[in-house]
Amino acid sequence: MKKLSLPWIIIPTAVALVLPLFMRDQYFLHISVLILIYTGVTVAWNIMSFGGVLSLGHAAFFGIGAYTVSILYVDYGVNPWLGILAAIIFAAIGSLVLAIPLLRLRGPFFTLATLAYVEVLRLLAIWAVPVTHGSVGITTPPTQGLAYISFESRQPYYYIALGFTLAAIAISIWIYRSKLGFHLRAVATDEDAVRALGVRTSRVKLGSLLISAGMTGAFGAFAALYFFVVEPDTQFSATLYSIQPALNGIIGGMGTLAGPIVGAIIMTPLGEWLRVTFSGASQGVNFMIYGAVLIVIVRLMPGGLVEGFRAIARRVGRGAHGGSRAKRPASRTHGEPEDSTQAENADATKEGK
Amino acid sequence: METPLLSVDNVTKRFGGIQAVGGVSLELGHQEIIGIIGPNGAGKTSFFNLLSGMFIPDSGKVIFDGKDITGTDPASRARMGVGRTFQIVRPFKGMNVAENVMVPLLVNDSSVSKAHRKALDLLGELGISHLAETPTEALTLAQRKRVEVARALATEPKLLLLDEVLAGLNSREAVDVLPFVTTVRDRGVSILMIEHIVSAVMEVSDRMLVLDHGKVLAEGDPQIVIKDPKVIEAYLGSDEEE
Amino acid sequence: MDYLLQTVVAGLMLGGVYALVAVGLNLIFGVVKIINFAHGELVMAGMYLTWWLWSAWHMNPYVSLVIVTPVMFLAGIAIQKFILSPMQNSSPTMKIFVTLGLSVFLQNLALWMFGGQFRAVSFGWAEQNLRVLGISVTYGRLTAFVVALALVLALFYLMKRTLVGKVLNALVEDRETAGLIGIPVKKYYLAAMGIGISLAGVAGTLIIPFQAAYPLVGAHFTLLAFVVVVLGGLGNMAGSLIGGLILGIVETLAGTYIDPALQQVAVFAVFIIVLILRPQGIFGGSARNAEVGLK
Repeated sequence: MKKLSLPWIIIPTAVALVLPLFMRDQYFLHISVLILIYTGVTVAWNIMSFGGVLSLGHAAFFGIGAYTVSILYVDYGVNPWLGILAAIIFAAIGSLVLAIPLLRLRGPFFTLATLAYVEVLRLLAIWAVPVTHGSVGITTPPTQGLAYISFESRQPYYYIALGFTLAAIAISIWIYRSKLGFHLRAVATDEDAVRALGVRTSRVKLGSLLISAGMTGAFGAFAALYFFVVEPDTQFSATLYSIQPALNGIIGGMGTLAGPIVGAIIMTPLGEWLRVTFSGASQGVNFMIYGAVLIVIVRLMPGGLVEGFRAIARRVGRGAHGGSRAKRPASRTHGEPEDSTQAENADATKEGK
Repeated sequence: METPLLSVDNVTKRFGGIQAVGGVSLELGHQEIIGIIGPNGAGKTSFFNLLSGMFIPDSGKVIFDGKDITGTDPASRARMGVGRTFQIVRPFKGMNVAENVMVPLLVNDSSVSKAHRKALDLLGELGISHLAETPTEALTLAQRKRVEVARALATEPKLLLLDEVLAGLNSREAVDVLPFVTTVRDRGVSILMIEHIVSAVMEVSDRMLVLDHGKVLAEGDPQIVIKDPKVIEAYLGSDEEE
Repeated sequence: MDYLLQTVVAGLMLGGVYALVAVGLNLIFGVVKIINFAHGELVMAGMYLTWWLWSAWHMNPYVSLVIVTPVMFLAGIAIQKFILSPMQNSSPTMKIFVTLGLSVFLQNLALWMFGGQFRAVSFGWAEQNLRVLGISVTYGRLTAFVVALALVLALFYLMKRTLVGKVLNALVEDRETAGLIGIPVKKYYLAAMGIGISLAGVAGTLIIPFQAAYPLVGAHFTLLAFVVVVLGGLGNMAGSLIGGLILGIVETLAGTYIDPALQQVAVFAVFIIVLILRPQGIFGGSARNAEVGLK
């Protein structure tokens, strides 16, 4: 089994741990927290793409998590930490609605259904006023303290978010190398072949969905406490919490371990900058750019940045070792761009029959 | 008279306006190899799909190891001992050969390290352990075919459905892969193989079945079957293209 | 009882437009084999274009069809040529991303150009009522229904009786062989996209006299068209027609008897329920549904 490359894990983690000590500016800390939240959601989303399943419904799980913790805290006085636990459970349950009737749908159809699910939940959140407070939303009280996950400075938020994100990454790595991971990766290549080997593919996909949804719910819950407010249009925003993670994942490299992290770290500050630059009269231009970027990236670099780096590293490695295969240390997968296109071609023709 | 391992009773399958399989019956015993040949479009792969569970027959029965599996889903059939390879070999992306073989092994046992060991053992028995660490993208076609068979074997099947395992191989490669088939049989597995290369199939089959237009044209001893005038006519009268 | 009938008729009128949108989506999927996530946004484009022609140039919305139809046809061709065609051999996942990107782009283009507020076309004649047999229908909805239905039937005729249509059918059935026997496949892809998108745009024109335009309105149409196509059967044009009509009725009934805010929820719920009870869709059973994964 491929060894995990320790330097690539320890060094970034160490950097991340000490970073806040060098950051006085609360705004930079804020961006860092945002990066961590998005990294977490993207990593969670990416677990489904281990299995080749593209979900655009993660905003649903994010929103369920956010609302669960807020409702429990504000309306029922439940401690936010317990609320986060509940958020995970409710988000996973929320994914069952999608899973059971819809996982049988193939590729694009499942994806569209997930997108519809987000919209449906958004409408329900607006409508179910007694539970969700409708369009007004829910504001969590600013009572301070670790018990309430509420602080004046951004630093504690950063460390909590970091904890969550590292946990998410660890879970993601663990799954990838586990039986579930093997089966997911096989399903991603050829579901029929995997079934003929005795694997119950629907259970495998369901497993990845439940875990992915639960993890996303945790981040949604944390974000709700960080932002102090939840409301339907923000929490159940497909653009922010469904498409954005997918965009991050695609840019970094879908289905790989490092891809979502790389993608989120790059795209989150970029997105923030775009949003701030194009506010007011140019409202909408920032997301226009997202759309254009998505089209261009998919066209030019379907493997994402991680693939790109690996290709470069390989070429460098071949020069140094005279023909042997050199891998970028952070890569935990094989799979070279030319061949993935080959397999993708085969996929395309199979679908095209 | 021993009960057959596989008993197919008059299965039919229609797709839209086409009767792909129009009433095929067959019986397969233990450690028997039956070769299935027939011109293109004869319904061979559709027949296999009925046996492996990808399609459910419109009528007829499939009885395996004493149990009626006519309506059973593919994964369950695989667990019961019906293994299958595909015409278009698709090794799992991003995995090396050993990991490919681990996928079916992990079905019954969650331990990744144990599965790895078992995979290496199996590859060793089949004489391809040197390929264990090779990424599947780097394999030649002949090697991929053997990995495909190895993978199917990892499910410990009693019956193996080989769908054109020799397709795309040149005659030298085919000579390499064919002994694989008998090795598999010697391990106690019955085999149904679809093939276009009639000579190869004749060499290893105990019996042969000829399909044409979804029906059985002839069945029995390979030497006798190929001399059957109906069979010759079916082949001569059809296109030979893949 | 009268009220129920009234609601059903209103829904039927709307359903005609939904059928038009769905049929276009179905055609695109059948021929070009791409799920157009941006289809709703192209309906939105038709809506905004019509609104703009009306508000800036005082053009009668129905007259503007003369402009909207060719413009949207060209838009469809452009999308196919510059965005979709290069993606032809990519995996289905990548194709999703590309039309998704287009959808996000168009949504926000609308936001940037027209702002977030609702843009309505208040066309006097369209708002007048016609009373037949005790049922009241606005001319706008009636016209939308009639024109939509006419276009759907025209498309059926095109597909069944004309050479172009038969070629398109051939492409739906077996793309490879069609290419092998010398059919200029690429040109027909352009045609299919042109037709599909122009139908979407026309739907937008037909609907704006009674449904205002706003940047997110596309999502509603995409969802509806998608539900119709899946339930009615992929590649089954008649199924899309009937499905569109039925869904229009379901949605309007839900809006009247349950809650206007929950219309889409109702549609989605129906979708889920049908999928659970009858996985092959209502009119399914064709082998093509395997492409959707329904078995």
